[in-house]
Amino acid sequence: MTLERTEELALNLGPQHPSMHGVFRMVAHFDGEIITKIDPKIGYLHRGLEKLAESRTYAQFIPYTDRLDYLAAPHNNMAYVQAVEKLANIQIPERAEYLRVIFAELARIASHLVFIGSLALDMAGWTAWGYCFRDRERILDLFEMTAGSRLTVNAMRIGGFSQEVPDEFWPALKSFLDDLPEMLEEYQGIFYGNEIAMGRMKSVGILTKEDAANFSTTGPVLRASGVKHDLRKDAPYGIYDRFEFDVPVLYGCDSYDRGLIRLLEIKESAKIIRQAMRDIPEGPIMAKVPKVLKPPVGEVYHAVENPKGELGFYLVSDGSTKPARLRIRSATFINIQLLPAISPGWKIQDVIAIFATLDAVLGEVDK
Amino acid sequence: MENKEILRKHVDELAVKVNGEVQEILGALVLTVKGSYITETLNAAKNFADVPCDFLHDLTAVDVGEQFAVVYQLSSLNGPQTLRVKGMIDRDTPVIESVTRIWRGANFLEREAYDMFGIQFKGHPNLKRIYLWEEFEGYPLRKDYVTESVEKRAVILTMKPGE
Amino acid sequence: MDALNKLPLNIAAAIRGLFGDPHSIWADLTMTVIGIVLVIVLIVLAALILILLERKIGGWASQRPGPNRLGPRGWFQTIADALKLLGKEDVTPAEADRFIFKIAPMIVFALPMMTLAVIPFGMGMVPIDLDLGIMYYLAISAISTLALLMAGWGSNSNYSMLGGMRAVAQMISYEIPLIFSLLGVVMITQTFSLSKIVEAQSTIPFVVIQPIAFVIYFIAGIAEVNRAPFDLVEADQEIVAGPFTEYTGLRWGLFFLGEYGNMTAVAALITTMFLGGWQGPGFLPGIVWFFLKVGIIIFLMMWIRWTFPRMRIDHLMGLAWKVLLPLSLLNILLTGLGIYIYQYVLRIGG
Repeated sequence: MTLERTEELALNLGPQHPSMHGVFRMVAHFDGEIITKIDPKIGYLHRGLEKLAESRTYAQFIPYTDRLDYLAAPHNNMAYVQAVEKLANIQIPERAEYLRVIFAELARIASHLVFIGSLALDMAGWTAWGYCFRDRERILDLFEMTAGSRLTVNAMRIGGFSQEVPDEFWPALKSFLDDLPEMLEEYQGIFYGNEIAMGRMKSVGILTKEDAANFSTTGPVLRASGVKHDLRKDAPYGIYDRFEFDVPVLYGCDSYDRGLIRLLEIKESAKIIRQAMRDIPEGPIMAKVPKVLKPPVGEVYHAVENPKGELGFYLVSDGSTKPARLRIRSATFINIQLLPAISPGWKIQDVIAIFATLDAVLGEVDK
Repeated sequence: MENKEILRKHVDELAVKVNGEVQEILGALVLTVKGSYITETLNAAKNFADVPCDFLHDLTAVDVGEQFAVVYQLSSLNGPQTLRVKGMIDRDTPVIESVTRIWRGANFLEREAYDMFGIQFKGHPNLKRIYLWEEFEGYPLRKDYVTESVEKRAVILTMKPGE
Repeated sequence: MDALNKLPLNIAAAIRGLFGDPHSIWADLTMTVIGIVLVIVLIVLAALILILLERKIGGWASQRPGPNRLGPRGWFQTIADALKLLGKEDVTPAEADRFIFKIAPMIVFALPMMTLAVIPFGMGMVPIDLDLGIMYYLAISAISTLALLMAGWGSNSNYSMLGGMRAVAQMISYEIPLIFSLLGVVMITQTFSLSKIVEAQSTIPFVVIQPIAFVIYFIAGIAEVNRAPFDLVEADQEIVAGPFTEYTGLRWGLFFLGEYGNMTAVAALITTMFLGGWQGPGFLPGIVWFFLKVGIIIFLMMWIRWTFPRMRIDHLMGLAWKVLLPLSLLNILLTGLGIYIYQYVLRIGG
């Protein structure tokens, strides 16, 4: 008996597709419901930030960094301004360091909340999505009362922090942190503990430790594959070496662990914020920085642990007011390569979930 | 600092072997080699005893006038060592060995460098433009790329020197 | 209250009385037309109310307001949406199979109309009282598979095609436990007529005697009308909108009406088969009881939709073939044994 083969179906998903997290596009080849090959196509949001940087001064480029991973804008600000500070050898005041940490960790929580929400949404878990966005709103309110904007916060400056936080910031932050455990409980109940969600994510989309390292994977995706690597611990930047927190590591290597690790990281971020709130000193928030910043000739690669992975800025200075080369090493641009590697053999629904667990933000992928 | 000393020793040894130059820029160890040695260098760096630099963080290129520097940021998941390797290649014949065989993660990064600088990576499985469309003319991140509008660019590109 | 219950019957008798001979063919024809018109009105009204209800319940579940701008508390939102749909351009894809593409939404809309026609809404209020009501209902509701496949095939789009294929795979699988779960009730009542089944539940609704069958039918019913967590057919995160992807304007609206009509039909059948139909404590008229029960079932369906993530296709098939089918067979066995023991006891006692 000969086995009849059906024709392979090529399906174009994106750039306008409900679950492509922006304008990602992939051409998926199917055999029935099983994926045989995925061909990712990116560049629909490419704005040429690296080229733009060459015609902007160092300070002028800060707002552009907000548009990278727009779900965690303070992180991008921090990575960039710290890179410039390293290059120009600028020391910043203590209070600014603490404010940066608080904002960065808030952004991490916000970004992970969007992750959990959109992961749930990609499996049609509408209510979990509603919960996450309800709670993220409170973080955005915190950003708004300080910086005036909610998404592209642009709160950090070369040499410090843009402005002092208002008085109502601290009680609002405290009440948010107090409510956080209850929120996490809710997500656990409605989504992570759900039989259907577990069935769809457990043992799906296996990414082994070796593959993860070989693919230059970073961030939660790497840590869910059993590698304990977090730049906040391994190469502390700013004042992260002053805080006590754990780096959650899971060994499942599957979609479920990639999803769950974000929930655990939120808890650690809350710990860091609480310590920062306790220790934050009074004082100025801006160092004395020359109006026209001319870093000496040199180059620096500075990387921070963005919610999605390692965000690195490679700055080459030729001694002028503008960078000679600014290179953005964005985490999800590299992590997204995993999709064609680990998807074949799974069903289309799994692939949607796998893509969601890679947590791609197209602002960062396309730069 | 012991880690750094061992690394320094290894890098110095490697530099002699591949005819490279070791610098320390703002606390980071930089090894500059000729482009033709890049595979050998990176393979060696990946297998340094005690301090393997086996994790590729980033791969990009820098336009440094006569040459392009292809920059590899290396480190490890198991230790604090970091190393930056630069492979210098000619502007006129921008060809370098692909490292996708060492790190599969270099795939997109090399495509991006090709897209932006026109650097040919020998042995890359799928060397196509990644952000820009196939018909796009020029390589935007080269310093001599004209950033004017399309109409002006057509005029500028046909101008003779000194016009 | 008895008078209220009998009011529709009296009205019907009065209308028949307008004709010389109350059982002439003209009188029958008029009554049938009135019945059909009422069912159409019911479907359209149900869709209007249910769409608003769905969005309100969705908002309530995920802690947001839901539609709240148009009219008091957003009650006119659906009407505005419907009007918008009416004004939309009707696009037929260039490569589509035009005839199949155009006829599919009509079939989807027509089916719940046909199925609702045999449901007893109140005492003596059956638009068409068939002796084989259950058989008829099952046969008609199975056609919706065909309509979805037609929509998927006719659109000539990969998304639609995948959706259509999923519809066939899913509905054929769920059809079997669905039918088997109803057999228990039929075995007890010894009849296929829906109005007789309702009358048989005057003392106790069958959900008490047939709890397994009720659960199976509820689950399979949700799968049958393609609602979450079994909405793989129109899984918008994967295949955009499945068979409906290429439809616009009123044609798409017809699918929507059909979907909510189907939902009402399934809820109505559950009410009839397991919850005692229009029977209920005497302080409310039968038709109110009927729609109250239908409403509760629909609310449960919506609640489930907004709570659970979508199932994966192999889990979905696994649930049908490995869990629901054996359970429904077991239910038939238990029912048979129960009937046998009951009759034995009766014989001993008698």
